[in-house]
Amino acid sequence: MTTRRSILTGGLAAAALTSAPSIITTQAQPSRARTLRAVMHADLRVLDPIWTTANITAYHGAMIYDTLFGLDANFTPQPQMVSKWGLSDDKLTYTFELRNGLTFSDGQAVTAADCVASIRRWAARSGSGQSMMARVKDTPVVDDKTFRIVLSEPYGLVIDSLSTISTSLCYMMRKKDAETDPNQQVRETIGSGPFLYNREETRPGNRHVYDRNPNYVPRAEPPSGMAGGKVVKLDRVTFENIADEQTALSALQAGEIDFYEVPPQDLIDELKKDKNLTVEVLNKTGHIAFMRLNHLYPPFNNPDARRAMLHLARQDDVMGAIFGAQSKSWQACGSFFGCGTPMTNDENTDWFKKGQDIARAKELFQKSGYDGRPVVVLQATDHYLANPAGLFAAQWLRSVGVNVDLAAMDWGALVSRRAVKKPPAEGGWNIFSTTVTGITFSDPIAFTGQAANGEKSWFGWPADALQEKLRDKWATAPTLEARKEIAKELQNNGWNYIPHVILGQFFRNSAWRKNVTGVLGMPEVVPFWNMEKAAAI
Amino acid sequence: MLAYIARRLASTVLVMGIVAVFVFLLLHLSPGDPAAIIAGDNATAEQIEGIRKQLGLDDALPVQFYRWLAAVLHGDLGISIFSNEPVAKLISQRIEPTLSLALTTLIIAVTLAVSFGVVAAWKVGSWIDRSLMVVSVLGFSVPVFVVGYMLIYVFSISLRWLPVQGYSPIDQGFGPWIERLILPSIALGLAYVALIARITRTSMLEVLAEDYIRTANAKGVATRSVLLKHALKNAGVPIVTVIGIGVALLIGGVVITETVFNIPGVGRLVVDAISKRDYPIIQGVILIFSGVYVLVNLLVDLSYTLLDPRIRY
Repeated sequence: MTTRRSILTGGLAAAALTSAPSIITTQAQPSRARTLRAVMHADLRVLDPIWTTANITAYHGAMIYDTLFGLDANFTPQPQMVSKWGLSDDKLTYTFELRNGLTFSDGQAVTAADCVASIRRWAARSGSGQSMMARVKDTPVVDDKTFRIVLSEPYGLVIDSLSTISTSLCYMMRKKDAETDPNQQVRETIGSGPFLYNREETRPGNRHVYDRNPNYVPRAEPPSGMAGGKVVKLDRVTFENIADEQTALSALQAGEIDFYEVPPQDLIDELKKDKNLTVEVLNKTGHIAFMRLNHLYPPFNNPDARRAMLHLARQDDVMGAIFGAQSKSWQACGSFFGCGTPMTNDENTDWFKKGQDIARAKELFQKSGYDGRPVVVLQATDHYLANPAGLFAAQWLRSVGVNVDLAAMDWGALVSRRAVKKPPAEGGWNIFSTTVTGITFSDPIAFTGQAANGEKSWFGWPADALQEKLRDKWATAPTLEARKEIAKELQNNGWNYIPHVILGQFFRNSAWRKNVTGVLGMPEVVPFWNMEKAAAI
Repeated sequence: MLAYIARRLASTVLVMGIVAVFVFLLLHLSPGDPAAIIAGDNATAEQIEGIRKQLGLDDALPVQFYRWLAAVLHGDLGISIFSNEPVAKLISQRIEPTLSLALTTLIIAVTLAVSFGVVAAWKVGSWIDRSLMVVSVLGFSVPVFVVGYMLIYVFSISLRWLPVQGYSPIDQGFGPWIERLILPSIALGLAYVALIARITRTSMLEVLAEDYIRTANAKGVATRSVLLKHALKNAGVPIVTVIGIGVALLIGGVVITETVFNIPGVGRLVVDAISKRDYPIIQGVILIFSGVYVLVNLLVDLSYTLLDPRIRY
């Protein structure tokens, strides 16, 4: 069909002829048909996936680096770079052997020494890694392809930690990169993963370009989550930074991009009607929205005031405001580990089953000795959750007679202010809200927000000796079943000392053009291997 | 004239110095911390502090300012905190889209606006005049992003005539280049058209009431010649002035338009930098924008001598 656009383009062909050398250059690049253009949830800003815990950098890591183990779609660790591994009878020595054909993009073979250095650097930054390394006596290299992890006491989470999908993931880097101080950023982007980072074509802030790694040897097993064969069926993937979500949505509908990780969630029902698009939830564990309470200062240094918040928060309000009251994209959840995760349980959730109870909340605030001082609620007006959550928190608190200082700011300012330990009246805070993926929320070791070691723990700085003891017990439990039992104890205690209050669990849909197939669903990371792109529709 | 230009250029340096101090203080005294943004959501306060130290953000403000100013005086705008690329390189990568957008907008806007203004003045009080003024009021009142979304919906989604977003460098062909600039230029130019058209109309009405215009008409000079040769040239000074002032409007509009149409220009660069507190980029771009603004005003002042021989420097 002749369109106005084709006439315009054709009519300007003469001018295009003057650009012949550029056109020749363009033809040398991967064809559009084998290039997948994706808009992700954030712009990639930092390239070292160990240095930052930002999810988008973990996505970048999954493109160019590989992991020793990968979680499959059922969240079970499977060998990835490792060909075989074993555990000694005394449960103290793990031995790992790398599979054949692993090479970095600079042509060097991946060695056991690279892996040991990578594990050590990752462990210095990651919650899982720190917990594991506290029990590691040595990490000897046996030969080029074999190394060991020798423990001082049995620890049931070694393989789980190496395969974690909670940021930071344990990516394998070259020894010389992995020996970089963990507090310094690695500048190189040399990995052994399924894609190569194309620095020449990348324009920071605009587009990040990944080309298929022709030397990558995938496993033979079918792909499953972060495990199995990472077979790349595209020549190139680009992460396009389209800041305006309405523009990104229009570009998807017009076929200018192929994949949109987080389109505006209030338009999902409309998107589902578009016959050219597939709309699906890729992260089946969803995200947990929660309100963090500052344990250092009144009123939330008092457990009764924290308990009052459990009775005060109404998840339906917040989720309904974001997704719509009738939407199937969210659910209320009372578990300390999120719902639908392996650790989900029903302990100590009477407060949740009863729903919002203003009278009880009021009574608890009085019991806590609340003295009328303003409660500082951080409200990030540009954040899809922290904006309505801040507004609702203020409204709930006012309904029980609490004075509220609603501090409006942007998300950039909120992430700075939440790190301030000063009193709320001097630039600190009492409440902020954020989200984390369901799978991370359910891991008492990987999620720093589950730690309760006072001023060393995550923002809010809760201190609870029993929580720490139970986390340790959970980490050293030998089996999944044993961990599930300890999770009940953790939850029972958790809803007594209350580090945070859940605001709902939600499931964000992704959208892609119908000609894109082979999309793998996984929390925390979007795998671009296995994806295929047919002729445009 | 040369002495005047030299004086103005010297004052440009002073203006940019003042801008540098203000921008630095405003940025560093306003809330936000790039280290917290870099560290990610799962990071602890300790990890954030480590990053802050590594970036030198824990140094006293005067130390940071001295470090930055010393580098700027050596022609170094610094290194982006996030991408670790030199700011000058990032700006140079983004300058072509922004210049393309600004120039196409200026050409479209000035051509249309001056024509509208002249016609409106010529047909003053008629339905043509009223219609053109309604269009210019609309252009002034409707925000750039609303016009942008409407244009995308009509011409890209419904009619599929033009692309939704993006930019194609001119060395990859004139067709794709202009194709991606049409909608953004219209969206950005509308307010500019409104501003210039109204000033042109007012200025033309004043000139058209002068005795020499009446004389020209009495002598039977053709209307076209009266309007363009006699009236427009003499109405030119306020029009050129408002075009110069409008550059500030254009710079502000470029930031929004580049975001709506996903054009990887300097405007997008600075918006992204503000959201993540990438101080060296914000400081570098604002310094350059202020320099451009001062220089454009200098050019406007110099152009007066061409339009009015009585003006001398």
